[in-house]
Formats: sequence, C-alpha cells, structure tokens
Amino acid sequence: MAKPGDARPVFLDLFRIRFPIGAIASILHRASGVLLFLALPPLALGLEMSLRGEAQFEALRSLLPAPWRIVIGTILAWAATHHLLAGIRHLLMDVGVGSALGTARASARAVLAIALLAALFAAWRGLS
Amino acid sequence: MKLSIYRFNPETDDRPRMQAYEIEPEAGDKKLLDVLMRLRTVDDSLSFRRSCREGVCGSDAMNINGRNGLACLTALAGLKEPVVLRPLPGFPVIRDLIVDMTQFFAHYHAIKPYLINDGPPPEREHLQTPEQRARLDGLYECILCACCSAFCPSYWWNPDKFIGPSGLLQAYRFIADSRDTATAERLDYLDDVYRLYRCRTIMNCTEVCPKGLSPSHAIERIRLALLQRSS
Amino acid sequence: MRLFRGQRAWLVQRISALLVLALLAAGGLALLLGPPLDHARWHALATGVHGGPLIMLLFAALCAHAWVGMRDIVLDYVQPRALRLSVLTLVALVLFAVLVRVLLTLAAHFAPPG
Ligand code: HEM
Repeated sequence: MAKPGDARPVFLDLFRIRFPIGAIASILHRASGVLLFLALPPLALGLEMSLRGEAQFEALRSLLPAPWRIVIGTILAWAATHHLLAGIRHLLMDVGVGSALGTARASARAVLAIALLAALFAAWRGLS
Repeated sequence: MKLSIYRFNPETDDRPRMQAYEIEPEAGDKKLLDVLMRLRTVDDSLSFRRSCREGVCGSDAMNINGRNGLACLTALAGLKEPVVLRPLPGFPVIRDLIVDMTQFFAHYHAIKPYLINDGPPPEREHLQTPEQRARLDGLYECILCACCSAFCPSYWWNPDKFIGPSGLLQAYRFIADSRDTATAERLDYLDDVYRLYRCRTIMNCTEVCPKGLSPSHAIERIRLALLQRSS
Repeated sequence: MRLFRGQRAWLVQRISALLVLALLAAGGLALLLGPPLDHARWHALATGVHGGPLIMLLFAALCAHAWVGMRDIVLDYVQPRALRLSVLTLVALVLFAVLVRVLLTLAAHFAPPG
C-alpha cells in the first residue's frame, strides 16, 4: 500500500518529556541499586581482607589512591543513602503511608536532598 | 500565540517533523483545544482527535509541553510558549497527534471491564450500601484517555505485557465492587511479573490524570489485596 | 519467561529490604556502642556466634534483594531473549560468587567461644 511511512513512528524522546519529581527519585533509585550491586563483589572481598589480619585490615583504608578513593567513596555514599531512603519511602508507600500525591512529592524531594547532602558530606570528609 | 506541533503524514513523510505555527487566540478561546480548532481553519491537514471538548470523551489526549494532558482541559493562560504538542509518548503514531490505541484497549478488554456475578439474579437489582458504593469513587470516573499509561515508563518498556495504570485502575474498579463475584479470578489474572508487577510506583500516572484520579493508589490496593489473599 | 511468579518476587524484595534494614541498624548500633573499631574488635564481632551468622544472613538478604531488583531492570530494558538470558546469568553468577566468597570467609574464621 503506502510507500513511505509503512512503519509507524513512536514519540519517545525522553529528553523532551517533563518528568515529575517522583520519576527523578525513581530512576535514581534504580541507578543507585545498580551501583550497589556493582559494589557487592568488592564488599565481599573487603570482608575477606578485613578478617585476614591486622595489616590487611589497616590496608583497606588506603587500598585505592587518593583521588579514586574520594570519587568512589562519594558516589557510593550517595548511592547508599539515596537507595536506602528511597527504599524506605517505597516500603511505606506500599502499605499506604505517604502514597497520596502531595506527600509522595514531598518525600521524593526530601530523599533527593538528603542523598545529595550525604554525598557532599562524604566528599568533604574525603578531602579533609 | 506560538506553537510547535509534531507532524507526520504516512502517505508523504518518511519521518515526523515539527511544524511552527503562529495564531492569535480570540476572546472566546480559553482552552488549548479552542486554539487547535482555530488552527485547523488555517491548516486543514492538521490531524488530532476530539469530540466532546469538555473532558468526558477522552479523545484529545496529547503530550503538551512535555506532559500528557487533554487539550480541552488545558487552559491557555499559563501555557509556556511555544506550546510544544506531540502525540502520546510510546504509542505508534497514525498521523500527526493521532495515535494507535489498539494495544491500550486490548489490555482494557483483558481485565474484563464489566460486572461478573454468578449468583442468582436478584428480583430487581443488586443493592449496594452507600459505603460499598463509595468504594467506587475515584475509580469509575476514568475516561480511558490514556494520559496515564502513555506517561508510565514501565508501560513504555513493556506495552505488550504490562497492563498499565489505566487498565489496572479499571481492574481495581471491579475488584472493589461489592456486586462482583469474580474477585479471585481477577486477582489470579493480575498476579504476574508483567501484568501488575512491572509497576515501580513512579506515580507519573497520578501526576498527569486529567480527572484527578490515582491509578497508583489502585495498584497499591491490588497488591495489598493479593497479599491479604495469600496470607 | 517465568523466573518468579509476580507476587513472590515482589515479596522477596520487600522482606529482604526489611531484613537488610534491620541488620544494618543492628550492626551500626553494635559498632557505634563501644570503643572505636580496630581489627581486634572487628574480628571478634565478625567471627562470633552471633556476628558470623548475622553477616551471612545480611549477605543472603542482599543477594536475594539484588537478584529481584536486577531482574526487574533487565525485564524492562533488555528485550532480546538471548541477551536477556546472558545478562541474567551473569547477574546470578556474580551474586552466587559473592555468597560463596562470604560463606567461605566467615566459615574459615568462625570461632565461637569454647
Ligand atoms: C547492597 C545493597 C542493595 C542493592 C544491591 C540493591 C539493589 C536494588 C535494585 C537493583 C533494585 C531494583 C530497582 C528498580 O527496579 O528500579 C532495588 C529495589 C529496591 N530496593 Fe534495593 N538494594 C540494596 C539495598 C536496599 C536497602 C538497604 C533497602 C531498604 C530500604 C532497599 C530497598 C529497596 C526497595 C523497597 C526496592 C523496590 C523498589 C521498587 O519496587 O521500585 N534496597 N534494590
């Protein structure tokens, strides 16, 4: 039949969609979950090292050279805080606590802000 | 007033493009739909759906400045210019702002959107107490405009398998109905990784519902009903 | 592909999240109360009758939680069947390796008094 446009286009340009605050908190919950997943193997190895001996336990603190330590520490502090708080928010909303739109918006904002503060705090601790 | 509108004509276009328009609203023009109707007197090739022009039929859902809404309920006052209009995200475009809703309605039909009652038929009618009737408030008002489902990321990724906020709100409308006796079967159908459990409680659905309904709340109640049943 | 029924996976994720939350709170409290953490205290905590099994439980809950979570992400974004299966296998292998590593570590150092 028709020649051009046999396939129907789909508009799904995420950069042209205005996402509500809850969607931002949600995608970051997902991103932080992936980061924490990636952190699990190093965590298991760190546990092994920490128990092997006094010297290894102490060496854990300076396993990575300084700039990396601060960057990774900051990212993980953000991820852990955001995921934990957003997770608690989800668990509460699952049982109907704070699941009305107004409260959900406010709690999403709070989660984003506190996680950002946690990251800043971690960066500041790493630098000083 | 400046507008930028998504245009696609399957007979002549390979791909969609944005077209700029400029038009002066007249005194009686209050809603976005009024301006769209006026635009059509200038450019009769511009295609969109509309019918009741008062938020009841649910035909003129579109993406307005990045958010889904009904053109007939969107006030001109306060709209940022240029007003950017695109078809509902994630839905196949038939032409301009008209999208293919086949899949959306397939999900709606699959949740059996009608009362099922296998008891003996009552002499006159199934009576409800005012409390039982009140449980349907916030559910029965859905006009199936698809603003919510087309704003739901989970629905974008799995439109063929996830029922989506609209269908799930409709499903809960019958689960919550005291006259319906198919609750167990309805819950059985919904207990599925895809159909119900793709929802991540993002709440985009509730954010954009032009009728002020809360599909995310209905989904929360379905999950709790499933939980209650299995405990 | 039905790796889990819908509700079961959802429940596993909530219960494991609650478990992780409780264990982290308890662990944090145990570390905060008492002298600053050095190797001796950490070793005693992590290899004791309570500490060892609780750390194992923590990692078990974490891995169950991460499995459901990563599976959800894959079900959303990775649609081609073969690729999806590969990514899921990779995730499962990583989590399994983490569990084995933690179990071996804790077992090797496990030192209940007496
Ligand atoms: C190392 C630790 C953790 C890892 C690797 C992890 C990983 C993940 C992943 C990958 C997801 C899927 C996200 C999505 O579907 O968008 C998720 C979801 C979730 N996480 Fe975690 N998580 C961890 C810790 C926690 C903690 C401590 C909590 C406690 C509050 C928590 C609560 C949740 C909840 C409630 C969800 C479900 C959210 C939803 O259904 O959208 N997580 N997690």
